[in-house]
Amino acid sequence: MAAQPRPGIFTGRLFTRKAVAVPAERSVRSFIPVVLPVIVIGALLLLLPTFVPSYIQSLVTKMMIFALFGVSMNILWGYGGIPTFGHAAFFGFGGYACGILIIHGGISNFFLNLVLAIALTALLAAGLGIPAFRVYGVGASDNPIYFLLVTLAFGELLVRVAITARSLTGGSTGLAGIPYPQLDVLGITINSRSFYFLVLIIVVVCFFIIYRIVNSHYGYALRGIHDNERRMQALGYNTWLYKYTSYILAGAFGGIAGVLFAYFGGVMIPGTMGMAMTDIVFLIVILGSASVYFGPIVGAVVIVGVEYLASLYVPDRWPLIMGAIIVVAIMVIPQGIGVLLLDLWRRLIHGST
Amino acid sequence: MALLEVQDLSVHFGGLAAVKDVTFSIEQGERLAMIGPNGAGKTTLFNLLTGQLKPSGGTVIFKGQDITHKAVYARTQLGIARSFQITSLFPNETVRVNALIALQGTRAGRYGMFGVFRKDKALRAAAQELLESIGLWEKRDETVSWLAYGEQRKLEMGLSLASGPKLLLLDEPSCGLTPTESADITSRIRELGSKITVLMIAHDMDLVFGVAERIILLHFGEISCEGTCDEIRANQTVKDIYMGSRKQSSAGG
Repeated sequence: MAAQPRPGIFTGRLFTRKAVAVPAERSVRSFIPVVLPVIVIGALLLLLPTFVPSYIQSLVTKMMIFALFGVSMNILWGYGGIPTFGHAAFFGFGGYACGILIIHGGISNFFLNLVLAIALTALLAAGLGIPAFRVYGVGASDNPIYFLLVTLAFGELLVRVAITARSLTGGSTGLAGIPYPQLDVLGITINSRSFYFLVLIIVVVCFFIIYRIVNSHYGYALRGIHDNERRMQALGYNTWLYKYTSYILAGAFGGIAGVLFAYFGGVMIPGTMGMAMTDIVFLIVILGSASVYFGPIVGAVVIVGVEYLASLYVPDRWPLIMGAIIVVAIMVIPQGIGVLLLDLWRRLIHGST
Repeated sequence: MALLEVQDLSVHFGGLAAVKDVTFSIEQGERLAMIGPNGAGKTTLFNLLTGQLKPSGGTVIFKGQDITHKAVYARTQLGIARSFQITSLFPNETVRVNALIALQGTRAGRYGMFGVFRKDKALRAAAQELLESIGLWEKRDETVSWLAYGEQRKLEMGLSLASGPKLLLLDEPSCGLTPTESADITSRIRELGSKITVLMIAHDMDLVFGVAERIILLHFGEISCEGTCDEIRANQTVKDIYMGSRKQSSAGG
């Protein structure tokens, strides 16, 4: 067979999810291309509150929370190949769980609260996952429409519950008065600056854990299921269990983002569990790219940033702008900004290849 | 005791009986080929044996254990592996990662979330062994979708062998290959050794007669006749419904 042409930079495999997979040998020796940017960005984030005004600090806090939200969804979507319209359900539920535990449960300890909220969110995901994956058959990443509808319904259902259960959730006006987390044990008073660092620490720890998971044995099994579930079953993998557990994992990490969001805003409204919030996380992943690990982080920075600018200059036009971004993103950069950035970075490092 | 015993196995799709009351057994170490015209139900029967399809009736017994209603992955864990007629790989991963994923399927660490998959020494050593045995070690860092078709078919068979099966089901292993590549596959199947029992679907008569000890002819979902290579060659029914129409081609698709 004749030698096949190699793909150009903007053709072929780059448009698919696994476009950026590099052989292990090359990716291991990766101090400059991988570790250095992480250190630089980390240092910038650590120093940021010293230089910028508090509204920027608060904006970056929000970016980090949504980045975690996006990366948590990408466990399911980018790696497992399972898109969902109901990921906001876990985000909002985590936030509500946190708020209710503080306001009605009287639990002021931040860590206890966080752990309980994560556990409750994971439990919710475990419960919803069973019926949801009944309509997601073998190799359904090609046709996940029923799964999308079921997960969408779960989110909307939770929105209705939150509106109806007024005494617990505050109804449609939302659950207000969630205070900053208490870290009395550590002797730290939380204000907006120390909250920024708290979010930074938790988000970075979560990113690290998720990064380890998607590169673990489990993570590669998940990628295999994305590519070819039928074959994975024939190889001995219980693919249902992988999909189901990835749904719980994604839900739990989404719940952590929700907890941070509840503390951040001090208020949870029912809409955070429904379509409106799912739209945003969907856009974060599409725009940032589902095919690279840091894609949703880039997406979150862009989306939260644009949302902030929109709220400054054209208030009430955010949905219109978001719609325009979706259209442009899908038409112009279907592979996502993350892939573009990675490609630029590679060319910078390796010269033109 | 036979390794695999199939008793009155049937499956219906609506009114169509795709497989009808099929009964046969395979002994440990045997090489059994299944032939039959297109639409005879060969691949459907494979899907019943591996669990991709649920039978309408009958039983499948493997190593004395009733596996009729077991899931696909559970059968693989017991020692049944298959290859696919339509090449079924992980096209966006490298050859090595394909082998690693395949090998991991029947190993204990497959749910591990704390290790680094690509640096797993035991898996990597096993992958090297597997890839060397199928002659693809040189191509280990190539992305699978860029491999030549013949190499993909080799990898297809390699992945099926990764679980260390007792019973290997090969669905047209030489499908679409050149005669040279086909001969290569034939010799590789011959070299598998008596620990692996082979049940093979094939249209390629060189492959069938080169490998099989016994042949089953499937026609309209039923076993039409069964025998050794010589018996099948001499059988008039076989000539009528199968080979007569395919004299001109040796590499069927």
